[in-house]
Amino acid sequence: MTPQQPPRIPTLMLKHFGSGSNIEALLGDLAEQYQQNNSAIRYWRQAMKAIPVSFFRDIRAHKWMVAQALMTGWGLWILAANLIFPIVNYNPYTTPNASRVSFHVVWSDPRSVIAFTTLPAIGAAFHPKGPWSTPVAFLFALALPAVVGVVSGWLAAHWQVCIQADPATLRLARVHQDRKTSVVLLFAGSVLLMNLLPFTFLFDRHIVFLVPLLTLNAAASVVGILLGGGLFRDRSTGVGN
Amino acid sequence: MRKGEYLGNFDLMLLLAVMRLGDNAYGVTLAQELEAQTRREVVVASVYATLDRLQERGLVTSSLGDSTPERGGRAKRYFRITKAGVREVRDAQQSLMNLWKGLPELKGEKA
Repeated sequence: MTPQQPPRIPTLMLKHFGSGSNIEALLGDLAEQYQQNNSAIRYWRQAMKAIPVSFFRDIRAHKWMVAQALMTGWGLWILAANLIFPIVNYNPYTTPNASRVSFHVVWSDPRSVIAFTTLPAIGAAFHPKGPWSTPVAFLFALALPAVVGVVSGWLAAHWQVCIQADPATLRLARVHQDRKTSVVLLFAGSVLLMNLLPFTFLFDRHIVFLVPLLTLNAAASVVGILLGGGLFRDRSTGVGN
Repeated sequence: MRKGEYLGNFDLMLLLAVMRLGDNAYGVTLAQELEAQTRREVVVASVYATLDRLQERGLVTSSLGDSTPERGGRAKRYFRITKAGVREVRDAQQSLMNLWKGLPELKGEKA
């Protein structure tokens, strides 16, 4: 008799976003349970709970390694933002008529530093006719964060800068295969958080028109990181699904 | 026992389930055993998370078994308790027994 296939969506989500070395065995267990009780609701519940459980277990068990990989991803992200900033600042579309909003990094102001990480989107909004009016604006809003996301996501998933105490040096090391998912998810989550923080002060400054742009920017950043980190790649060694 | 190495409630229940199941202790059977004894749904992922931690402490070992079609071709991960694990369970039992002794609430004398 052919075994019944468990629900496809939770299987794919767990396969791609589950962390640690036990995901294959866990998927097998859930499939076996599904053959016994045939309950899709239970399968969904088990699979959805497994993603945060395996993620936090992995983070807790490998704190230092995950922190180093996270720093590596953020290092590249900030470097890219630094490189993009002058381009945005001297964009022919933005100067000298930056009438709707002006933005400069003030290092002593945490809000300014946070906004700096979402700079591509803010750069696009400088355009007096709005963020969607030119290909350049579109590029700043969508393509740049996506590209930076892909590259930094790939870097965080594969390499980590290790700080060695004795002697005090930095070296690059490969990220362990089993740790990739949790590192990439954590990095994507931290970038998403940084991208969401500016929303809290957008409303104060009557620049609500930036909301769709920042939303797009956040989504592009996160999808880019997940893509670069290889989370959409099929890692299965099993048969079916 | 060093500080921070006490067995939690779920740790202890899992170690006992691994002992009860012997050679057939893997995710599904462990979850079933705990559900039967506690009458609560057990998240299979938390069984693995806990056993992973216990394995790092040397209290259990694991090995991959065979794969079957109803598991989508995926192998089972079997767990076995180690000597250190048995010792830890015995210590926990002793500590709990000592704490248990002479409590009127547990003898039904008080509500």
